[in-house]
Amino acid sequence: MSASGLRSRSGLVKLLPYAFILPPMIYLMVFMFWPLSRQMYMSLTNTRIVNPNRGRFIGLGNYERLIEDPAFYVSLKATLVYTVLTVIIGVALGVVAALAIDRPFKGRAVARAILLFGWAVPGVAASLIWLWMYNERSGVFNRITELLGLGRFSWLTSTDYALGSVLAVTVWQVAPFVMLVVLAALQSVPQEVREAARIDGADGISTFRAVTLPHIRPSIQLAALLVAVWSIRRFDIIYLLTGGGPLGSTSTLVVKLRQTAFEGHELGMASAYGAVGLALALMVAAIHYTAEQRRMKRMSR
Amino acid sequence: MPALTFNKVSKTFGDHTVINAFNADIHDGEFLVLLGPSGCGKSTLLRMIAGLSDITSGDLLFDGSVANDWEPKKRGVAFVFQTYALYPHMTVRENIAFPLVMDAFRKWYHLPIVNIVARHRLMKRADIAERTLGIARQLELEPLLDRRPASLSGGQRQRVALARALVRNPDLYLLDEPLSNLDAKLRTQMRSEISALHHKVGKTFVYVTHDQVEAMTMATRIIVMNKGIVQQVDTPDEIYDHPANTFVARFVGSPPMNLIPASVGNDALQLSGKLAVDHAAPLPSRRHMTFGVRPEKLTLHPAGEGRLPAQVAVVERLGAETVIGCRLMTGEENNDQRLLEHDLVFVRVSGNPKVRIGELCSLDYQAGDVLWFDIDSGDRIFPGQE
Amino acid sequence: MMTPRKLAVKALRYTLIGILVVLAGFPVYWMAATALNVNSQLYGTGQVAWPQLQHLPDLVTELGNVPIGRWLFNTLLIASGGTVLSLTLGALAGYALSRFKFHGRGLVGFLLFMTQVVPEALILVPLYAMFITFGLLNSLWGLILANVGFSLPVACFVLKGAMDAVPYEIEESAIIDNCPRFSVLTMIILPLIMPSIAAAAVVSFFAGWNEFLFASTFLMDRTLWPASVGLASFVGQYETPMSAVLGAALVFSTPAIVFFLLIQRKIVAGLTAGAVKG
Repeated sequence: MSASGLRSRSGLVKLLPYAFILPPMIYLMVFMFWPLSRQMYMSLTNTRIVNPNRGRFIGLGNYERLIEDPAFYVSLKATLVYTVLTVIIGVALGVVAALAIDRPFKGRAVARAILLFGWAVPGVAASLIWLWMYNERSGVFNRITELLGLGRFSWLTSTDYALGSVLAVTVWQVAPFVMLVVLAALQSVPQEVREAARIDGADGISTFRAVTLPHIRPSIQLAALLVAVWSIRRFDIIYLLTGGGPLGSTSTLVVKLRQTAFEGHELGMASAYGAVGLALALMVAAIHYTAEQRRMKRMSR
Repeated sequence: MPALTFNKVSKTFGDHTVINAFNADIHDGEFLVLLGPSGCGKSTLLRMIAGLSDITSGDLLFDGSVANDWEPKKRGVAFVFQTYALYPHMTVRENIAFPLVMDAFRKWYHLPIVNIVARHRLMKRADIAERTLGIARQLELEPLLDRRPASLSGGQRQRVALARALVRNPDLYLLDEPLSNLDAKLRTQMRSEISALHHKVGKTFVYVTHDQVEAMTMATRIIVMNKGIVQQVDTPDEIYDHPANTFVARFVGSPPMNLIPASVGNDALQLSGKLAVDHAAPLPSRRHMTFGVRPEKLTLHPAGEGRLPAQVAVVERLGAETVIGCRLMTGEENNDQRLLEHDLVFVRVSGNPKVRIGELCSLDYQAGDVLWFDIDSGDRIFPGQE
Repeated sequence: MMTPRKLAVKALRYTLIGILVVLAGFPVYWMAATALNVNSQLYGTGQVAWPQLQHLPDLVTELGNVPIGRWLFNTLLIASGGTVLSLTLGALAGYALSRFKFHGRGLVGFLLFMTQVVPEALILVPLYAMFITFGLLNSLWGLILANVGFSLPVACFVLKGAMDAVPYEIEESAIIDNCPRFSVLTMIILPLIMPSIAAAAVVSFFAGWNEFLFASTFLMDRTLWPASVGLASFVGQYETPMSAVLGAALVFSTPAIVFFLLIQRKIVAGLTAGAVKG
């Protein structure tokens, strides 16, 4: 009643909401959506960095080249593998951590704070630490493996390990976020329901499956969506740790985009990479929404 | 000072009609109460007067000028909200002075940061400070001036809300269930204080409530509403004595008016289909209707003396008076005097008569106290004028 | 008394927590330990595994050789400017979404959601071209304008959530008291949601503080670099001692860690709200 009560009375008043919404929207149009649409258009041109404003329209030429380019498939595969593994490992670890520290224990506040470090450290700083830890000659990991008699590993420069190494840093960053989201959901599980299940004779595991899991599932799904989208978007740590190498094994679409644009100077081609990245991110979001809608329907039934 | 006129005013949200078109006047200086159960549209109507809610169709006139599109400030109204709506981040003093400060604001004072300085300086301006203090004294709020609303009791918040309404000396006071969040004792006290305030300032008050006692004690006139439809517009006495329909008859008065289904056959009255009564007055010229009589118009007699045989079902002793709920019985003089099926019939008697639950008794009435209503629409009908 | 099974579960749980804490905390610990080591140890015999406070003066000297102060100052400018802009625009958008029904409301929600999905890299090139045209390349202003597009929606969602909890009647009361809408926002609503404003400010501030991609692309001038770009320039460069590099990284990280830990819940609420209600 009140919401619409505040609504318009005369023509002038009808414009009132726009007085508030227009400045931010104009801003987003100029600095987000206009560039975005130009980027999409640019993927249909042969724009190069020497003539950023004077590309010629070449239709789907860039996409044709993309489809024929093995490097594109390497990049697409790296993106997919990186994203899927980040989601699986990051979400799994985040949920486990949340469950582990959900109930109070001595030193919980400290443990919780330390568990959040990876999330709070800026990406560039995180990259520098891990670069040093991954250092082939003096890094702490190789010192440990040497002590164990396993020898040294080329953590970031071998095609076998590079993606895994980048993944480890990523998980260190995103798992704490998942943990926070799940913790918030766990804390809203009604205690009486849990106790009622206990009294009904359910043991810990079945209580978890019957009561806790359904309650936190939407949060887990939401966290998974965000982690997936961020993985597709992530630039800083991949670029700094491996620069996309070795042999493109960690060059996700976003890294490839910047390289093609600012090292290969082919803006049109770079935009085509970007378009694929955007399509992936939108697909993830669409899947999330479909699942969410279905869940809502099921709940309202 | 405004006299308000509603000219076929109505309000809809989408397909849902909140207020059906109606006509009414609110006279200058009047204490008008909008009375009805929750959800009947009375608050929406008040918000339409304030300019917080738009009018779907029809005209609202302030002193003869159409005011549908007027901004709240142009209407010169003060509004007291049910939740008081005090500004939690301001002291009592700042709350009370806020309307004055706003009136004194120039356009450019509204710039961010400038507004903080401007408000601060205006608070200190002599006329504003004095007026604020004066109103606070009048409502005995002076010791609380530097407290924040969160630290006040319900009654104190209520006073601050009133003070904020009074401070600008508006022509029209709009009050939305201002007493509903107070406890019973405080409510009675504030009721008389608001009445006194009305007499003192002599301005128009429009007061929304669902409490018929508040309406009867405070109003000069009442608009009774139900389900978005205005039922009756009249003085409290008229509404009580001559309700326009069964809704008003039941809603106003406690216990409510007794309404008994009745029928007329062979010029004789039958109540509840079975109890034949010698009415001894003209009956409506139709077959079925509702027979209504106020509890205090019924009289209680020993069994067999009154025209309506009954059995006592409930006794509420209130000290000065007693309310007795009875069940009517068929008049046949045999052993199983069957109880008639309908609501309890209440009778209100003064003092503390010795009646027990289950006891047989009888009731009686005077034909002049009976009101007749249409059995379907509930509207009042007048025997002989149909 | 505890049954053996319960005891085992408890032991398992604490072991798990212990492992997770070590995994999560070790990199930060190692950053501190490395920063407080002598550089010769780092590459030679092996670094000492704990921080050595006696090397703190050495670290300070080493840090004096990198323009970390200048970089942090630039970071501060970028982050603060971005915060002011994103809070201002976010409050306007949040208020409109919280209080009004208007045509295009769904579109606005969708656009705000899109900003959370679009990779920054995607608008990099067009922004670059645009900044060349308007002389915003190699300027902190340009960088701030680019950053805010991504922090504004989060600020908007945080503030909208808080505004939704402010009763309408307080606002209507102000309107009756002759307060125009813009002042209702600035004088009534915003003072009531100060905690959320603080949270939105921290989110926006550290979005600017941490940002790397735009800064490394749009700023060529070394003296304009923020700390993120400055620190990244140490990658693959061996003149600067590693202890100084990680010391600088530690200085750069500390404010982020402190503030993220302080308002973690609000940040999470803001980041998730956008994805739910978009």
